[in-house]
Amino acid sequence: MSGATIALLGQPNSGKSTLFNALTGLRQHVGNWPGKTVEKKEGSFVRDGKEFKVADLPGSYSLSANSDEEVITRDFIASGKADVVCILADSSQLQRSLFMLADYAGINVPSFLLLNMADVAQDQGKKIDASAIEKKLGIPVVPFSATDAKSYDSFYKTLERAISKDSRIDVEELAKQYESVKGYREICDLIPDNVIDGYSSMWLAVKVIENDAVVLAKLKNALSAGEYAKIEEARKNTKGAVATGNCKFKWIDELLDGAVKTNDKQVTLGRLDRIFLNKIWGKPAVILTVLFGLIASFIPALPFMGVGEAVLALKAPVMSGLTAINCPEFIVLIIGDVIIQSFSYIFKMLGFVFGVTLVFGLLEEVGVMARISYVFDNTMGKLGLQGKSVMPFLVSFGCTMGGAAGARVIDNWGQKVLTIALAWAVPCGAAWATIPMLSSIFFGPGAVLVIAVILITMLLHMWVTAKIFGRKLVKKEDRYGMIMELPPYHKPKWGALFRYVLGRTKETFIRVTKVILLVCGIFWLLSYSPSGNGGILYNIGVAIEPVTKFFGLPWQLFLSYVASAVGKEGAIGVISALYSGGAYGTAFTQAMSGAANTSNLGSLLLANVTKPEALAFIFAMTFNMPCVVALAATYQETHSAKWTGRIVLYYTVVSLILAFLAYHIGLLIW
Amino acid sequence: MEELLELLKDGHARTIEMLADQLNTNTEDIKRKIEYLEKMGLIKRSFSPSCGAGKCSECAMHSGSAPCKGCLPDGGFKNMGEMWEVVKNTQ
Repeated sequence: MSGATIALLGQPNSGKSTLFNALTGLRQHVGNWPGKTVEKKEGSFVRDGKEFKVADLPGSYSLSANSDEEVITRDFIASGKADVVCILADSSQLQRSLFMLADYAGINVPSFLLLNMADVAQDQGKKIDASAIEKKLGIPVVPFSATDAKSYDSFYKTLERAISKDSRIDVEELAKQYESVKGYREICDLIPDNVIDGYSSMWLAVKVIENDAVVLAKLKNALSAGEYAKIEEARKNTKGAVATGNCKFKWIDELLDGAVKTNDKQVTLGRLDRIFLNKIWGKPAVILTVLFGLIASFIPALPFMGVGEAVLALKAPVMSGLTAINCPEFIVLIIGDVIIQSFSYIFKMLGFVFGVTLVFGLLEEVGVMARISYVFDNTMGKLGLQGKSVMPFLVSFGCTMGGAAGARVIDNWGQKVLTIALAWAVPCGAAWATIPMLSSIFFGPGAVLVIAVILITMLLHMWVTAKIFGRKLVKKEDRYGMIMELPPYHKPKWGALFRYVLGRTKETFIRVTKVILLVCGIFWLLSYSPSGNGGILYNIGVAIEPVTKFFGLPWQLFLSYVASAVGKEGAIGVISALYSGGAYGTAFTQAMSGAANTSNLGSLLLANVTKPEALAFIFAMTFNMPCVVALAATYQETHSAKWTGRIVLYYTVVSLILAFLAYHIGLLIW
Repeated sequence: MEELLELLKDGHARTIEMLADQLNTNTEDIKRKIEYLEKMGLIKRSFSPSCGAGKCSECAMHSGSAPCKGCLPDGGFKNMGEMWEVVKNTQ
């Protein structure tokens, strides 16, 4: 004795597979739909001596022709291979998940509706009156829970009811909705009944309006050329899928009206969002948050500073110890000036890497980062950019290369190039480690002020750069606003956050150690001279100093500015080498002659570099081109050597101008 | 949904809550409409922060190593919510 064939229809995650497995158990067969890579699952079960066949149709959002899954699904149903269609919906979000039902309505196959996950809906405090929905819908409707064995009894009963009654969806109300759509009546009249088996003219007309390629092709085959041309003509005047989608949603709402009770709470903005999303206060609030974050990152950096000092304190005893055992002077100097000196810097820098990564990681975790991208969306528009350009900028706070790669999502070439050009102005993680370290040596607590000024300069820089490059790269155009789904604020997961931050710090430690030791070593060698009369670099440096002094940079700082173009961390290596190099200055000789207190690198720098010079260097280094890797990434994303070259040249010039300004403003202050 | 798209024409970004407020409806309604518009190809996701550095299923499907469009590079942010933009040049 044979029962019926049941087709299971539902969106992904509607619980279709759970139901299928529970119904068929081991009696299932998995294969492919002919000619497609879509999985075909069939099975059977026996109930009251009758064998029922079950087809688990591929899960899809709707029944439009957007994917193979959807076309297979609707063709299978319309072909009449299924005697009854079981439509699944998620009770916990009916407004949304009944869309499949709305898209199905109009296919002439008996069906019933399973309100799955009834238990979840109940837990949410939703009360669903299935019989009220059934009355309006004209097919059996039953609350169900695929994971609960007890609810299967009602499933079987409803199944039999649907088969015996040959129940079909009452589409009268839906058709009324469609009547209001421009062009619907005209198209519907042009489509004769049963022109394509299984589909009503209403359903076909709606798919025509939605510009469904498969349906259009079928109609072209079935109708005369003249009739089809009329349909095509009428279709062009419709508003497309937006209009028909609206009807479906309205129909769903009417269906649910009075049948669903929820303890809905009014959505209000949180206290923080009332500030961050405010039109006037949003931007200052965001900038202050970032600024305070950067300042706060000093606190976790302090222990690292201590380690750095401790390493440096080793320098004098180690060097005198080595000298005592008659180690050659050259090796003593390498160990002292290159290795110990560099590690002292590396540890201090790591402190800030740790602090900055922690603060930015925290801002992201709790959900503030997402608000930043919202707040600056409109500003992006004023710069001729898309709202999503904010993301590469934010990523650039970590690494400019990431920012350049992140610009990939911008499909307009000009906007992409401009986004990358602006992302270069955002000081990267290595710069954010170097700036506070140097500023705290020279300005003490004034470092906070330096950071604030750097942030403001960054914003101005980006604005000016956008004006300069924008004219050639982007043209003013109407732009649509974005829709954003902001993540809710939540407490940070400290464990995961610290693992992430420590991982990043370790990564940076390895990379930075390599770069600094290498750069420091090379520059130290170039500046080393056994006779004490100055090495190669010293001679070159002194020769170019009249020019570099113009920008407020002594030759040592100028060379480390040049090195910062290779990588910002490299600058530290150069400073370390040149200000302690064998050939340079009396300060070093003094330090070596046993005056332990002057062996402190901070005081060594202070003795040789004035505050305005230091300020000039900080600005020159920060706004110099980010690094060689970022340069490569920029070329890769823009595919333009010309524009990459332009950006490099522009940043070099601007960073020197900023150094000049910083130096002269510094001279006025000190 | 026409009103929704019309609203975005002024170029201002909006959160789902703001759209719900301005269109006198609830966030669930906005969410299902966003889902519909996305499936119909009228809007698209700008970023999928949930998928990072070419490790999402979509990247794996398309090409070997290169991250898919909309995938953030490594070290990018993850808790950024979702963003959609209107696809131009359609009806």
